[in-house]
Amino acid sequence: MDMFIRRFLRMRILIAVLIAMCFSVSVYSADKPADNPEGKKIYDGWCAQCHGYKGDADSFTKDVSLPKPRDFTFGSFKFRSTPSGDPPTDADITKVIRNGNPGTSMPPWSRFSDAEVKAIVGHVKSFAPDTFAMETKPINVGNPPKASKEIIEQGKELFKTAKCVECHGNAGRGNGEKGWQADFKTDWGYGIAPANYTHPWELRNGSSLEDIFRTISVGLSGTPMTSYMDSIPDDKRWALAHFIKSLQLTRKLGLALKVRKTETLPSKPNDPAWEAVDYLDLPMGGQLMFDTRNFTPVITNVRVRGLYTSKELAILLQWIDKKPNDGSDGKPSDSIRIQFPINKLEGTELPYFFMGTGKAPVNLWQWRASDKDKVSSMTAKGPDKIEPKEKPEATVMATYDDGLYSVVFKKELKPAKDDPVFEAGKFIPFAVAAYDGQNDEDGNTRGAISAWYYLMMEPPMPLRVYVFPPLVSLGVLIAGIGLRKRLRKKKV
Amino acid sequence: MLKIYPVIAIIGLVISIGSVIRKSPFFNFTGILVCIYGLLKSAEYVMPALPSQVILMYMAMSFFSFFIYFSIQEETFKAFLEPMRAVFADDNKALLRVLIVFIGLPLFAGYLTYVKVKPTYDPPVSARIVHPEPPSQMDFRGKSVNVLGLENPLRKDAANFAKYVEEGKKIYYQNCFFCHGDDLDGKGHLSQAFNPVPLPFRGTDTIAQLPESFVFWRVSKGWRGLPAGSGPWNSSMPSFEDFLTEEEVWKVIMFIYDSTGNKPRSW
Ligand code: HEC
Ligand code: HEC
Ligand code: HEC
Repeated sequence: MDMFIRRFLRMRILIAVLIAMCFSVSVYSADKPADNPEGKKIYDGWCAQCHGYKGDADSFTKDVSLPKPRDFTFGSFKFRSTPSGDPPTDADITKVIRNGNPGTSMPPWSRFSDAEVKAIVGHVKSFAPDTFAMETKPINVGNPPKASKEIIEQGKELFKTAKCVECHGNAGRGNGEKGWQADFKTDWGYGIAPANYTHPWELRNGSSLEDIFRTISVGLSGTPMTSYMDSIPDDKRWALAHFIKSLQLTRKLGLALKVRKTETLPSKPNDPAWEAVDYLDLPMGGQLMFDTRNFTPVITNVRVRGLYTSKELAILLQWIDKKPNDGSDGKPSDSIRIQFPINKLEGTELPYFFMGTGKAPVNLWQWRASDKDKVSSMTAKGPDKIEPKEKPEATVMATYDDGLYSVVFKKELKPAKDDPVFEAGKFIPFAVAAYDGQNDEDGNTRGAISAWYYLMMEPPMPLRVYVFPPLVSLGVLIAGIGLRKRLRKKKV
Repeated sequence: MLKIYPVIAIIGLVISIGSVIRKSPFFNFTGILVCIYGLLKSAEYVMPALPSQVILMYMAMSFFSFFIYFSIQEETFKAFLEPMRAVFADDNKALLRVLIVFIGLPLFAGYLTYVKVKPTYDPPVSARIVHPEPPSQMDFRGKSVNVLGLENPLRKDAANFAKYVEEGKKIYYQNCFFCHGDDLDGKGHLSQAFNPVPLPFRGTDTIAQLPESFVFWRVSKGWRGLPAGSGPWNSSMPSFEDFLTEEEVWKVIMFIYDSTGNKPRSW
């Protein structure tokens, strides 16, 4: 009897294993997803071009996106609310599909119904059946403590002691030493860069305080960003989250930058005086109109500020470069260019926004990290017709602080008749192109570019603004007094 | 959310009704104007907001017509002017007088003058023609092509339709999606960098309004082909004759129509 039971027990396990195997073959095989035709249909239509028909990311876009689309067959999911090592919940995958992955090519999908997304999630999971065989549940995020100076200070301290700086850098710009070692790779075998917190619009896993707390807690599977759930207690992770939140910049998009007049210009590009000056953020895109195209730009934002005196115009350009290259490490040197029209054109007409054309050329001022404080002035009549100028039209100063390049171009101002483009009170078109050597960006065309924007040297307030309003007020007051006197007399 | 302008309109109405009962034409007049202002501003909840110029014009018209109405009869006009006279002359209105006549009005007039004389600066705005007239003839890498009456040669090979669309999909996701979007909605991950922003293909006022010959011209010639009215200097739309063959352009066109459920215009 005993024997029999034991044999049965052993058999039961065997039977269970057999059933499980049949199950996994018939249900989870990607080639025969008989049970979820709708999920497969939408996935093949709208996800496969990036994630691959087989879920293996061997896809159309694999060479034209950075980061590369996820290989689902690997079974590792970066974006989870669950403990490290666990699969994501259906809600996690749904969240990625609905919100997209900021800063990557993974778009937010709002067009699909909830039922459709559910079917897609089922299909995504079918690529890694083993991963999803496990039960899991989200970690408890709890209630965040309020932001305060103390908690941010504490987070800043922890950021150093917990060694986040080694990857993310002192100022959280993703420029830590460790991130640039040769073996800094994902489990999928691709290079990766530590996150730059100052661009909240690019945080993959969300930029709210809770999102950041969750990311620190559970980590991003498959990447060097590990889980800190066990090594750092809750309250300290909140402090870290508050510190990270405090580093986020506010992006200011627009068409024009107004440049104020001052007595003296700040002496250095990283002079704190610049921080009080109004700014404009230029979203940057890859250069895609001319060969060689740049599908994967990494400089995504250039912040512009300006000041002018009666003699000079200064333009400050700031952008994040996690790994500076000055041309000495086998990579091209980092560089930036600002472009202005050479001539005034009819109406709203402008030269072509990238490097002009033969008919309407542009002026370029270029700074290269390899040339330190030297500026190159050039005339461009299209990306393949760039001629250096003998005399530089501007001077340049540059600094690199903890992942941030700050470059100031200065130009001497002349009377409007000698220099019609740079006239105070007029909207002066400019465009920017930036090149990151680490990303092999070089030449004219492989870079990140902006559209045309305008900067305007705001003329000082005309005197009449200070004179007329008080005069009119006074006039009205006198008239009022007069009227009062007359009406009162009448009554009497 | 509480809508402010309808509330203003109602307050105006209440004031004017109340003042009819109390026989005060001045407050009746003020109430009516306040009510009209509230109504004009409320229009923005049901239709595109009225420009401030239009509102100013309507207000001026109302002001004068009601002013004339209240000044026709001498009795009424006297009653109409009474509150103003009282503020200036009556001894028991000293506080009101200081507040309105000696402080409020001068400050208000000063403020209006300030707004008027302060220079404002606005960047140039350029209107652009989104779908310009295509030329009747173009060249594709030096080969002359008649745009007028041009047809997609691949459509005749109906047996291979699905194959062409799939090939077009690959071309799209290696050349276009950065700008025109994974979902062909014009919101590609690099689209923000460009001005004008890339156009969507989804929806009815898009490529659905265009014949395939037009799209062939737009894709092949890109910004270079645009006439001045469409501001070629701002357009980031590449000239794809530099990167694709004629057949590839036709394939990608088939994909952008098929995947959005749109049909090329055939009239
Ligand atoms: C244009 C390319 C593209 C398309 C189309 C696309 N994705 Fe993605 N997707 C990506 C990229 C790139 C990433 C990875 C980003 C990263 O590594 O941070 C990603 C990440 C994901 C993730 C997160 C995986 C993780 O590690 O947590 C999920 C889930 C996902 N995609 C699902 C989908 C689904 C479902 C669709 C179709 C509705 C889709 N994607 C369409 C490019 C794409
Ligand atoms: C070994 C290197 C390394 C260390 C140490 C490290 N990180 Fe990271 N971290 C990364 C990488 C790499 C990424 C970017 C992953 C990506 O691009 O998807 C990242 C991303 C992040 C993100 C942003 C995720 C998003 O939504 O885009 C946060 C927040 C973060 N880390 C916080 C921390 C904190 C806090 C610490 C210290 C407790 C820390 N990291 C330590 C490598 C590291
Ligand atoms: C660098 C960004 C960019 C890329 C890449 C790009 N386009 Fe465009 N495209 C634009 C912009 C911007 C416009 C709108 C301005 C204009 O009309 O030139 C546009 C306009 C168009 C139009 C005109 C639509 C209409 O309603 O008139 C078509 C068609 C088009 N693109 C197709 C394509 C195709 C097909 C590809 C890929 C082979 C592609 N584009 C790649 C930016 C881009």
